[in-house]
Amino acid sequence: MISGYLITILITLVIYAILAHSLNIITGRAGQISLGHAAFFGIGAYTAAMFYTKAGFPFWLDILLAGLVAGIVGAILGIPCLRVRDDFLAITTMGINFVIEAVFLYIPFFGGAMGIGGISLPNWFGREMTKPEYFILILVVFVLLLLLDRKLERSWIGLAWASIREDEQAAATIGVDVVRFKVLAFILGSAMAGLAGGFYAHFLTFIMPQNFGFGQSIVILCMTVFGGIGTRWGPILGAIILGVLPEVSRPIMEYRTLIYGVLLLAMMRFQPGGLLGPESVLPQVFRRVVYRSSVRSGS
Amino acid sequence: MILLEVTDLSKEFDGLRALDRVSFSAEGGEILGVIGPNGAGKTTLFNLISCLYPATGGEINFHGKSILRLKPHQISRLGIGRTFQMVRPFSNLDVETNVLVASGHPFYPSLWKSAGPFHRPAILEEVQILIARTGLQPYAKQLAKNIPLGIKKRLEIARALALKPRLLLLDEPSAGLRFEESAQLMELIRQVRDQGIGVILIEHNMQVIMSLCRRIVVLDHGSKIAEGSPEEIRSNPQVVQAYLGKEA
Amino acid sequence: MLWQQLANGIAIGSVYALISLGLTMVYGILRILHVAHAGIYALGAYVGWFSFRLIGEFWLSLFIGMAGSAIAGYLVERFLYTPLLHLPRIAPLIVSIGLFISLEEAFRIVAGPHTLTYNATVGLGDLSIGSFRLTETQILILLVTLVLLIGLWILLTRTRTGLAMRACAQDAETTSSFGVNVGAVIAINFLIGSAMAGAAGVLIGVYDNQVWPTMGSIPAYKALAIVVLGGLGNIPGTVLASIIVGLAETFFIGFLTIPFPRDAVAFIAMILVLMFKPYGLLGKA
Repeated sequence: MISGYLITILITLVIYAILAHSLNIITGRAGQISLGHAAFFGIGAYTAAMFYTKAGFPFWLDILLAGLVAGIVGAILGIPCLRVRDDFLAITTMGINFVIEAVFLYIPFFGGAMGIGGISLPNWFGREMTKPEYFILILVVFVLLLLLDRKLERSWIGLAWASIREDEQAAATIGVDVVRFKVLAFILGSAMAGLAGGFYAHFLTFIMPQNFGFGQSIVILCMTVFGGIGTRWGPILGAIILGVLPEVSRPIMEYRTLIYGVLLLAMMRFQPGGLLGPESVLPQVFRRVVYRSSVRSGS
Repeated sequence: MILLEVTDLSKEFDGLRALDRVSFSAEGGEILGVIGPNGAGKTTLFNLISCLYPATGGEINFHGKSILRLKPHQISRLGIGRTFQMVRPFSNLDVETNVLVASGHPFYPSLWKSAGPFHRPAILEEVQILIARTGLQPYAKQLAKNIPLGIKKRLEIARALALKPRLLLLDEPSAGLRFEESAQLMELIRQVRDQGIGVILIEHNMQVIMSLCRRIVVLDHGSKIAEGSPEEIRSNPQVVQAYLGKEA
Repeated sequence: MLWQQLANGIAIGSVYALISLGLTMVYGILRILHVAHAGIYALGAYVGWFSFRLIGEFWLSLFIGMAGSAIAGYLVERFLYTPLLHLPRIAPLIVSIGLFISLEEAFRIVAGPHTLTYNATVGLGDLSIGSFRLTETQILILLVTLVLLIGLWILLTRTRTGLAMRACAQDAETTSSFGVNVGAVIAINFLIGSAMAGAAGVLIGVYDNQVWPTMGSIPAYKALAIVVLGGLGNIPGTVLASIIVGLAETFFIGFLTIPFPRDAVAFIAMILVLMFKPYGLLGKA
């Protein structure tokens, strides 16, 4: 029998994995720095929460709205922001995060500092979903998102993103409308984060503005970067390591933030590609271990 | 057949006149040289034609239509390709993929079409043909950042050719190349011209310019000081003065 | 009443200038957003507080705080930024964020999560003219800031080193071809910028009589907004923007008592200016 605690961790993991994956599209694939990604996580969570508690919409509808609204806001904010140089973008996205968190905190319509409560797991077949069932649901969604990522990577959009990431001006001289593709990445990433927010709201059953501030943006960035920015499995690995570790070990929980900081620092300083990146130490260590063990077994 | 017509083109940066009322035209199937001492405004000229920044005066017409207010990606879609003085390949992509990205130019205007897979036999074949024509085959699978400079330059040309351009702007393609590499490059440029593509060539290497170009435009301090055949330019006292004056 | 708010605003703006200048100088020369700079600022406060506890003399503790920050800033440049200059700029940015987080946590772990009191007296006394009043610490702030800013201005406009610094900010490659030791210029930028941030840390610590681990959080993004507002890399622009934000905060919140988070003023101002001047007040493309 799967313990309730384990399921909680697994669900949290998938939500973080979706988040890290969504940031990966913006920052890893299209190469745009976003330091305020948690804002869209929050927009999705609040959209789902508000429509569920105030308008009585069913889960299936408010989840879709969560992604949609986050994507639309991403479009509105992205279009002016993505015209500017990447340094400006970093600061602007920080500002967006800050302003949106302030909106949730100070405007009473959104519940203020107390947030929104009374959200529940979705209903189906005439009863409330169990946690394991919810886990399967969001896992399925996550797999679909991974498939989408795969399709995009193999499409012209993926190539356009790669060229923008490498050299924007050169990309423009070979026919790539740089702003349009950047905005596309931003909208997709934001919508996905919004979706994750909706899942989060229904799982946690209450949400507060503090969950969606700059600190959270940094946690997401950490996961994406640590595992390997731009790779498909890197962000997931990052989510697992950075998301699970503190839950599992009490002392680590205490120093969690410090560890995040140091890991981020060390990883970017010595291995900017992340654990699964191209020049990573990990595959080499892996190869050496496998080689040594196969030699030992005489194969 | 006149492809490009530049009339009284000017560019000012913060009070500095980088280009001052320059006029000339370029034709298909012809190699036009642009020479001049350092700082004469040659690369600025290219940047204006490919619309990397706006001009402060004058006109540029391509096939009779003005291209002044377009964006860089629109310029390339019209059929103008370019290379850069400091090579700018997509470093972390391999040579094949570099060319492949440019081959997607018919799809990029439409988001729907762009969502389709790039793995199409027809396109991949085109890429292979282009790679063969530019002699990049041995390096096809290598990352652009790992190949020698001469090959990088050829890659940039191959990438520009993937646009199926009518006009090709080459910015100092032979800079930093050894003698044999230069000769190979010249041959490639001749082949491009023979296909009917117009070429505008910025070069410092006089041997390359004199042997390749039918006409040459000379810039100095942002102004055009001479235009003519290689013989005319070689014996033009103003041109000699401009170069000598710089050395002194 | 108006004069009072003016004085308050300028005092706050001056401290913002001290912090933001380091940020803009680093950006000007390395094109890196030195988020960890706010950690250097807080470090100055802690080092200053610590030395004040040991020595009991204010001016010395101010100097030691500035020195501590300067050294820390230099180490960051030498071991964390310069080795990463060949990578896309997201790499040093993330390193900076990681460092900032680590610093704040280090303060919490080493010095404790509680607020420390930095009650130094300088013996200047308050200044009162009718209902207009400048507290001792405000006078201190204005004085120290003025001295430091004038010193910086003299350095930049009247010395060879300053000329080299300005040239490097414009075009490092060409400047090095003139024989200027760009590495040394970079180090000087960091030393001076960090020292000023350290001074700001001590000044704020004394002004609020508080030193706490996350005191750098708000300056972290506020300084960024100010620097963008003034024009990334533009020194006069940064000073101008700092004063404007200081005045705006004081007027809109203190005076007009609009129920709006005070710290959002910097960002609102930044966004408003960016709409009309995309490179900031005095910035250029």
